[in-house]
Amino acid sequence: MAELSRNYRVWAYLIFFAAILALPLVGDEFWLNRVAKYLCYGMLGAAIALTWGYAGVLNLGQGLFFGLGAYSMAMSLKLSSHTSLQQGSDKPIPDFMLWNAQPGAAPDLCCITPGSWLWLPFQSQWFGVAMAIVLPVVVATILGKIIFGQRISGVFVSIISLALVLLARLVLVDAQPITNGFNGLTDLGFLQVFGAEIDPYAVSTYYIIAVILIVVLVLVRLLVATRSGLVLQATRDSQTRALYLGYDVPAYQTFFFTVSAAMSGLAGMLYVLVAEFASPSFLDLAFSVSMVVWAAVGGRGSILGACVGAILINTIEAKVSEVEQLVEAWKAIIGLIFVLAVIFLPQGLAGFAHDVMRRIRERRQPAPTLNRELRQ
Amino acid sequence: MTTLALETEGLSVSFGRFRAVDGVSIQVAQGELRVLLGANGAGKTTLMDLISGRTRSTAGRVLLEGRDVTNQREYRIARAGLGRKFQIPSVFGGLSVRQNLEVSLVRHPGVFANLRFGLGTTDRQRVSEILHLVGLADLATADAATLSHGQTQWLELGMLMGQSPKVILLDEPTAGMTQAETAKTAEIINGLRGRHTLLVVEHDMAFVREIAERITVLHLGKVLAEGSVAEIEANAAVKAAYLGTQEISEC
Ligand SMILES: Nc1ncnc2c1ncn2[C@@H]1O[C@H](COP(=O)(O)OP(=O)(O)OP(=O)(O)O)[C@@H](O)[C@H]1O
Ligand SMILES: [Mg+2]
Repeated sequence: MAELSRNYRVWAYLIFFAAILALPLVGDEFWLNRVAKYLCYGMLGAAIALTWGYAGVLNLGQGLFFGLGAYSMAMSLKLSSHTSLQQGSDKPIPDFMLWNAQPGAAPDLCCITPGSWLWLPFQSQWFGVAMAIVLPVVVATILGKIIFGQRISGVFVSIISLALVLLARLVLVDAQPITNGFNGLTDLGFLQVFGAEIDPYAVSTYYIIAVILIVVLVLVRLLVATRSGLVLQATRDSQTRALYLGYDVPAYQTFFFTVSAAMSGLAGMLYVLVAEFASPSFLDLAFSVSMVVWAAVGGRGSILGACVGAILINTIEAKVSEVEQLVEAWKAIIGLIFVLAVIFLPQGLAGFAHDVMRRIRERRQPAPTLNRELRQ
Repeated sequence: MTTLALETEGLSVSFGRFRAVDGVSIQVAQGELRVLLGANGAGKTTLMDLISGRTRSTAGRVLLEGRDVTNQREYRIARAGLGRKFQIPSVFGGLSVRQNLEVSLVRHPGVFANLRFGLGTTDRQRVSEILHLVGLADLATADAATLSHGQTQWLELGMLMGQSPKVILLDEPTAGMTQAETAKTAEIINGLRGRHTLLVVEHDMAFVREIAERITVLHLGKVLAEGSVAEIEANAAVKAAYLGTQEISEC
């Protein structure tokens, strides 16, 4: 696995990049808007692959980071929506806060509902954008320090992360006066970037998201190719051996866990730009589990594979949902796909592609080991 | 007097009421190869766990090159200059043989210091050198998980060469090996001596005679005897300890 042709990998990335950049040539704005959401999911899939495939840490609560990113962005956009600006105060106030306000509460963001002051800094959109990354990073760093510092590993990390996302969801729904509870944040304004509006249905918005995804994928792929990335994979295979070589294993795990969280927060932020809402469903267990399925099908050992897996599955899901009889069956279908992938393609589609390439090479070059040695 | 490479003072650990290691004091000089002998369950592996920080001791001290490292975390003791080979070989199965060795060359242990690509020329040369020393050059690109038992042990020894700690603990490096494999392992270990201080657990007396200078015998968690190969083989207490259980060469 480790040292198969680098060329083939580079080509796989280039083809994928070319494909997503070419899509605006073949579809209308509505379709592109939907694909843009899938690209955000693709970033999530890659984030899962980074921790699961490279660090051996299966996070079943990745939705927490996605949600943090999404809500940070949505809070800022909520404040810049027309309705928020027309509540009879000089400062914007989200409509749901007025509905939740105690009689006689001052119609001001500082104190209209308990905790509404938390929204104050989000009047700056850049604060919302920054928090979409900063919050996941801070939470992941603290979590990582605790979890990995205590040498918790394997299934226990999964259970803890699962419990955390459910807990966060409870809090989110419960804090109705500042989060709008179950309803989430809707009726959002547009992000203003240097005077231009990010219109969810503009082709340029699609390009922004596609380019950000490309940059993120390249950076993460380079990151795992560094020595740190190699050591991370080593800790996945044997924490003990890595410790005995003098590597501070928890520091490596925490660092990459945090990178994965930052990617998820970014994905959540971008998702809000095109989907125009944030909802507690982002913290549903089912959503976090779906991400794992995407990565498993695409290939958890491959950043690109997991990303493509996410996009593929969501595309299929959208197609299936068009047929009414299949809407209900979708959960069963996706479950089946997952089981089949785990049994027959443990390394997912990426692993399958990898095997195919290897076979082709070996047929062309009868003595591959010798050739590989000579090249080095 | 020069400082000892490795010293334990009254090192002990209890699991519940059971004292697996009970007041063990040993002194290993710089560059020495010390063999640790003892029946199954004598506490040899546990002693190595205590020295390397895997298990917390309940009493006593561990000094590495004169530095007190008692009960420190494994990676700290490793950075202080200790390496270890496990009884059950432990390598990075998902990485290639070459990558395993690359990881073992620890220039900077921190995560940020390692955000760079590839190895320097000297390090790359060192990796090739080690590949040849442990006889795995032909398997450099193979996944470590696909190696045979003996090859895995050699890779682990190779990783110790890469890490190049001052003191190396080897736990049964020839366990489960064929005679030919054992001979090659003896060769590798002899290549380590001089450059490193070694503490080796070994059962195979033929092998022990081949590599040992001094032997420490552990029995029921205590040091029973210490001396040269000949002295230990003639020692009445050692014979008594093994009598009725097993011969030294078989246990
Ligand atoms: N974590 C533990 N908890 C309880 N008992 C333990 C623990 N670790 C080791 N022991 C016990 O301590 C004793 C010494 O074990 P140890 O593994 O050190 O023996 P050994 O000399 O290495 O034997 P072998 O030749 O079989 O490898 C054994 O009786 C073992 O059961
Ligand atoms: Mg043992």
